[in-house]
Amino acid sequence: MSRADIIDVPPPLSPDTGVAGASSEGGRLEGMASRLVGAAWSLLAGRYTGYLLVAPTVLFLAVWFLWPVLTMVHLSLTAHSVDGVMIEGFTLENYARLFASDLYFRILMRTIRIALMTSLFAALFAYPLAIAIARGGPTLARLVTITILAPLLVNVVVRSYGWQTILNKTGALAWVLKLLGVSNPPVLLYTEWAVLIACVHVYLPFVVMPLAGAIGRIDRTVEEAARVAGATRFSVFLRVILPLSLPGLAVGVSLVFSLSAAAYVTPQILGGNFSPLLGTLIEQQILTLNDWPFGAAISTLLIAMVLASNLVFLKLVSRRFARWTAGAR
Amino acid sequence: MNETVSPLLKIVVGIILLIVVAPLVVPLLMSISDTPFIVFPPQGFTLKWYGAVLANPEARASFLFSLELAAIVTAVSLALGVPCAAGLTRFKLPGQDAILGLILSPLIVPLIVTGVALLQLFAMLGSRATLLQLVIGHTVVCLPYVIRSVSASLLLVNRNLEDAASVLGAPPHIVATRVIWPQVRPGILAGGIFSFIVSFDDYPISMWLADGNHFPVPLYLYTVIERSFDPSIAAIASLMIFFALLLVLVIEKVFGLSLARLAS
Repeated sequence: MSRADIIDVPPPLSPDTGVAGASSEGGRLEGMASRLVGAAWSLLAGRYTGYLLVAPTVLFLAVWFLWPVLTMVHLSLTAHSVDGVMIEGFTLENYARLFASDLYFRILMRTIRIALMTSLFAALFAYPLAIAIARGGPTLARLVTITILAPLLVNVVVRSYGWQTILNKTGALAWVLKLLGVSNPPVLLYTEWAVLIACVHVYLPFVVMPLAGAIGRIDRTVEEAARVAGATRFSVFLRVILPLSLPGLAVGVSLVFSLSAAAYVTPQILGGNFSPLLGTLIEQQILTLNDWPFGAAISTLLIAMVLASNLVFLKLVSRRFARWTAGAR
Repeated sequence: MNETVSPLLKIVVGIILLIVVAPLVVPLLMSISDTPFIVFPPQGFTLKWYGAVLANPEARASFLFSLELAAIVTAVSLALGVPCAAGLTRFKLPGQDAILGLILSPLIVPLIVTGVALLQLFAMLGSRATLLQLVIGHTVVCLPYVIRSVSASLLLVNRNLEDAASVLGAPPHIVATRVIWPQVRPGILAGGIFSFIVSFDDYPISMWLADGNHFPVPLYLYTVIERSFDPSIAAIASLMIFFALLLVLVIEKVFGLSLARLAS
């Protein structure tokens, strides 16, 4: 028996049949695109092809991302402005100012506080949602996933406006509270609470998704064993699900911390003029006061905070709990 | 296995989901209120605020500009990102980790910082080409999404199918167009949609690089919120929410839950 008897060899395909087949389905553009891709793909034989493919992107990001960011860090260390006059030369003056001035230091502390509180509340709300996704049926999982992701697709300005209409003095929350018999409902708009609520709202999916992934990887037999051995639902959560899902939580929380520390639009719209964060301070220093070196220093500090949170949450936490979580992978 | 979720948990989840949806629903209610200011619950019924928004030339100009910008950014991101994803997944490149780190770092550095750094650079270079600046700024942020989504689908390509096609005598370009392309198409489409959304919704980069003639929708919305209080803002917000809802439905229809990739 020859090979051809075993394998039913179809006639060799030609590029023409590919294009003709595509256009007969009405997708002429698709046919052209596939021919282009084909031509590109047939070039992928040389030794440096991999680098050639990656090079444009790497070059683009080196010039338009790495270079500007490094230039900015450099500026924050080599110039400072005194009464609007820029003085060049190595200096730590810009950073000293952030910590020496009571006003700036308070903004820094407020930023860290809101970022931490957002992470905490997001983690609290994320657990029930993540458990529902990982352990509920497919319908529940779908419903929860779509609902919590929806705010991400709604523009940040619109979202903040939505909260404004709720937290307003004549807004929906006040109306609901009055119905419930609260005579003098608190006005949350233009307070840190409004900023906190809106940040938790939109950054929630960044904790829920990795957390749901981590909980989904936990072996159900471990939970069942705990239940059979007499553990209550709550102690199963506390002693099985919580420790085994910590890596997922760490990923999510570090993301939420970074995102809320750098939030700009939400605090501007909901926090009013009384509770600016570092983002607002950067904007003021650069666009209003034209103090580029100081703006650059705050920006650098923001990058440092984000990197530090990544390091703390991901490296330390995952290493410390590696022993506990070994079973979850 | 449905019984593993307790009824109490379902109630808690229901309440949280209601809170999550509230700020997206309340503007819809406000937008039909027949009052010259925002008040809850809405009074009367009118669609005049929608008419006012749709007739507003500034709103229209912003919307068209945002569409144009997002389309250009998506095209550039795909042109750069798709080959890059192919290079990263199909070849063993020394220094791959460093390359990946560079590609993903625009997601780590705060957008507002990336924006101000670019503004400083453009000022240094003496650039006045606003559209070009905005395209560059948005592309920096959209590239990671495109590369991640395309790489993910390239990694899922079944190599056995390629081998089978080659054994059966298909030349490489036929393998590419008839075997690989159908498998990566969803990933490329997803990357394109993500990059369109990210660009269309961007505020923290545009706020530094835009000018009066190139004024994307989010910036326009912000100025409207700052200066007026009637329900026409609620009408714009509602239109944006409908637009997002449409996107959710399209993405759901086309990719199922791969929408979750946005957040992971």
